[in-house]
Amino acid sequence: MDASSLGRRLPAESIGIVGYGQSVYSKKTDRTLLSLFAEAAKGALHSAGLDKSSIDGLAVCSFDLPPDNAVTLAEQFGLSVSWAYFGTAGGAGPVASVINAIRAIEHGHASAVLCLAGDAYDIGGHYRMMDNFNRALRNYGTPNGFGGANGLFAIVQRKHMETYGTRPEELGRISVGQRASARLNDNALLRGPLTIEDYLDARVIADPIRLYDCVLPCAGAEAVLVAPLDRAEPGRGVRVLAGYEQHNHPPDEIAPLRGGWELFRDALYRDAGYGPSDIDFVQAYDDYPIMVAIQLEDLGFCAKGEVGKFLAENTFSFDGSFPLNTNGGQLSCGQAGAGGGMIGLVEAIRQLRGEAGPWQVEGARRGLVSGYGMVGYGHGLSTSSVILEGAK
Amino acid sequence: MTETIPHYPQPVTDADNRPFLDGWRRGQLYLQHCRGCGKAVFYPRSLCPHCWSTDLEWRQASGRGTVVSYSRIYRPNHPAFNDEVPIVLAEIRLAEGAALLARILRGDVESGMEVMLMASAEAAERFPLPVFQPA
Ligand SMILES: [Zn+2]
Repeated sequence: MDASSLGRRLPAESIGIVGYGQSVYSKKTDRTLLSLFAEAAKGALHSAGLDKSSIDGLAVCSFDLPPDNAVTLAEQFGLSVSWAYFGTAGGAGPVASVINAIRAIEHGHASAVLCLAGDAYDIGGHYRMMDNFNRALRNYGTPNGFGGANGLFAIVQRKHMETYGTRPEELGRISVGQRASARLNDNALLRGPLTIEDYLDARVIADPIRLYDCVLPCAGAEAVLVAPLDRAEPGRGVRVLAGYEQHNHPPDEIAPLRGGWELFRDALYRDAGYGPSDIDFVQAYDDYPIMVAIQLEDLGFCAKGEVGKFLAENTFSFDGSFPLNTNGGQLSCGQAGAGGGMIGLVEAIRQLRGEAGPWQVEGARRGLVSGYGMVGYGHGLSTSSVILEGAK
Repeated sequence: MTETIPHYPQPVTDADNRPFLDGWRRGQLYLQHCRGCGKAVFYPRSLCPHCWSTDLEWRQASGRGTVVSYSRIYRPNHPAFNDEVPIVLAEIRLAEGAALLARILRGDVESGMEVMLMASAEAAERFPLPVFQPA
């Protein structure tokens, strides 16, 4: 931003997402995190039709990035920025970073913000990270052999099953539906066929969680460019109609069956001007099918406790009755650390621009993207959601 | 022959959790109680998360609780646990009102069952954190 435009206010509705990018995903790589970020960032600029000089704000979400941060990343990338943001909300961070980037542009602190999310690790790296994820887990979880996130979310899933009668064969429809979409996506790490029988017969990881409830930790990065929509080519900008985040709700519960989405849901739909039945696809944070199920309840796609029936009555591939995580999501593409909180956002932009190719959702005009993460003592503390619409 | 104790990852002692960790080394469960609002607090903190009172008192707990939910872990996070699978990790609502995550050793587990602290010297010596068994 040249100094004269600092402090120039813009209406929030004139700001949106004008570009997106994604690195190649891999199970293991010698590439550095910065190389993955560079690939995603260049993709985002290219898809926006803008060049490096337009970027004057930088947001990044990553577990592996420390001791680096948003500012030292700016040095690496040779960017001078008037706004910098380092996400602290795990898989809810990337969606929150876009909400905050819009606020920064609205108030004249930047004019084009590059939002990045990603990590370069593998399964071993993931477990080591979870052992030291925060003080409470390190002191009171890790010494119990808590099984990483799998062991914790198994407690949540069992509680949901025992409280509401939710069944594994219902939850499995999420993994199976997403895999059907992933089979068309060359950048998904898991592309083999998956049936509900495969899901139910799979190895138990942390009972009741089985293999296809779990994501594959991997290396990868995602990027979006947030800017005034008039900088996008016609038909290629995406509006952000509504966006909220909530952290540590409900407080003081180890394994709650609800999250912050239930608090901001009404505001989200009020701001968007329409409700869940008007949404064409959902990209929900899919670290586990049980958490997708809880998001669907909390975001009003079905009543609390009734998601089992909802799952049984719908299909979840890109061409199904309820298009969900339409590129395969984390469950099939892999979880690139904090990039798992942006994979759905990038896929939503792809869909709304009509650029998803073989897995394009027909007539996709409105999408909901939801983030979740930052596991504390028992569950993910952070939630975030946006509602997006293709700009004319 | 004495079985060697695996190299479990250990909690880091600090000024807030020392009475809890020291208590467990004697086979006892200690909980903070808030003098401001009367609630029991877990995990150990320097202020009550309910009312922000810093007037917290350490008391020995009954060691009794109820299983709310649990997981049976076949893939532990840390290799020290590999020979002990499945590890039963439970959310336990203690009689004092606070909830914690702890291992349940011995016997079958199901939600709703009553459990009690394994208050033995062997358990306290072996396990880094309090462990439970069916009551
Ligand atoms: Zn209190």
